[in-house]
Amino acid sequence: MSRLRLIQNFSGLRAMLFRPTPDSASDPLQHGLARLGVTVEHAPEQPDALAELSLCADRDVLIVDGDPGACAILPLLIELKPPVPVIGLIGMETPSRLRLLMEAGATAMLRKPVQSGALYTSLYLGINGYRQRQLAEARIAEHERRRRGRRGLVKAILHVMQRDGLDDDTAFETLRRDAMRARLGIEDYCDNLMQTLPRQCAPARAPFKQERDHG
Amino acid sequence: MRNIAIGLLFSTSGPYGVVGQAMHNGALVAAEEVNRSNPALRLQVVHADPGGDLQRYEPLCRDLLDRGIRHVVGCYTSSSRKELIPLIEHRDALLWYPSHYEGFESAPNVIYTGAAPNQHIIPLIEHVLRQRRRRIFCIGSNYIWAWENNRILREVLVAQGGTVAGERYLPVGDIGLGQVVDAILDAAPDCVFSTLIGTSAYRFFSMFRAACTKRGIDQATAMPVLSCSLSEPELLQIEPGARDGHISSSVYFSSIVSAENRRFVDAYTRHAHGDASADAEASYVAVRLLGLALAEAGGDDIAAVSRSAAGQVLRAPQGLVRLDPQTMHAWLTPRIGRSTAEGRFDILAEAAAPVQPDPYLVRSMPKLEPAQAHLRLVS
Repeated sequence: MSRLRLIQNFSGLRAMLFRPTPDSASDPLQHGLARLGVTVEHAPEQPDALAELSLCADRDVLIVDGDPGACAILPLLIELKPPVPVIGLIGMETPSRLRLLMEAGATAMLRKPVQSGALYTSLYLGINGYRQRQLAEARIAEHERRRRGRRGLVKAILHVMQRDGLDDDTAFETLRRDAMRARLGIEDYCDNLMQTLPRQCAPARAPFKQERDHG
Repeated sequence: MRNIAIGLLFSTSGPYGVVGQAMHNGALVAAEEVNRSNPALRLQVVHADPGGDLQRYEPLCRDLLDRGIRHVVGCYTSSSRKELIPLIEHRDALLWYPSHYEGFESAPNVIYTGAAPNQHIIPLIEHVLRQRRRRIFCIGSNYIWAWENNRILREVLVAQGGTVAGERYLPVGDIGLGQVVDAILDAAPDCVFSTLIGTSAYRFFSMFRAACTKRGIDQATAMPVLSCSLSEPELLQIEPGARDGHISSSVYFSSIVSAENRRFVDAYTRHAHGDASADAEASYVAVRLLGLALAEAGGDDIAAVSRSAAGQVLRAPQGLVRLDPQTMHAWLTPRIGRSTAEGRFDILAEAAAPVQPDPYLVRSMPKLEPAQAHLRLVS
């Protein structure tokens, strides 16, 4: 699987801010995001509107204030698990607040008061950290799927050993070659193969007995 | 008359003292002009010299601030600038940073009058690619200026089908360059991109030229050295036979033909008895802008001065210069020059108008880092 190419230019990104609207017009967070080419939107405060939001992992990042009372819909955010990167705004550095941000999916943090110089680092780590986690989760799911396919692989090896009079290594090689020709993963190929066979064709004898017969 | 003290914090001695001296002189020329042209304002310059020692920048800057100074013009290397920023922010002062640098910064208490990467390295790469030179060997002093410029060069070059033929880093001030010169000659690139600074750079130009001559190679034609920092006073630090044929990307050369530049060069030469350079002009621009902003703001309050500075337009030696209010970096005019044996630069190309600074390269580079090949040769 190829290495993840990291995002290093955040121009065109949309940051959705889940925090109280600042009093000052010269808000360093908004100012710093604009400097990086990131557009800013203030998130809706109503829970219903949150569910209606159209979010896209390639375009959006959520910046969420984790301090008590700062983001009323934080619990809902945790429940919905938005499919986009989340960066936490931290004022109170306590385990309970940090935990909530973690549960909301934060992969980077910004200390309050926000210093615009820290923004690029937070976006870089938060967004690329999120993407790396997505990739890792996809890889784990794929491995899990293949692990589940191991039973079909064992059955197919036994079938080929019996059908062609081969030892287990040679039977495996045969299946691997056939899977490559079919452009399928070996687990998928074996699963397909076993699905096409009538039930009575399943191996009648244990593999080690078969191996001894060949030995 | 309002007297306002400003600090100049340049390493006028040490490994990159030649550049520091040029920046210091440029600032002094500007301070004289500000004082002459504005009878209501008198800049009092207080100078401190860290001697190129990173550890001395912070205490010297603290001394300047303890004297009540709110505006410090200074630093050449990024490491020294980064050393000062926490102090400058903590004391609510303003650092006027007059050097080209590698970008990826926009500190609220810093005003940047030197070139950002889209104003130096990007035009240089475009120039060499137009020359069809696609195999480039990178050498540099081992710090952020070299690392980041080489990263940008590699990404743009590889995307255009070019290759990095080799990459070497040396400690700042190191002059043990024999192995590096041999490595370059073995790789035989189309050109060499040097981010060496100070004495390492001067020694390299001389040694590389000598090694090429010994092998019958016309270095300036076969393997020209490219740089984003080489300036006129530095050419004079290179042995006379090795001064010509080097390509420099800069927003200023002393050979620019304009009335403003003639006045600047005359004033600079009278003051410093040497040739003006990009570093001198950048600190000249910083102090001129500071003078205009102080006069308009009516004092040295940094918020008022920053606001005022962002609205100034200066007829600088390089052309019109103004600050981008969003990043507080300057609009500057990129140029490509080729050094002559007399220690000056012939201008080969220049932008038609000042270019907006893009310190984070949001308009100049692709969204994703380049893909890296993981194929390897197998026997």
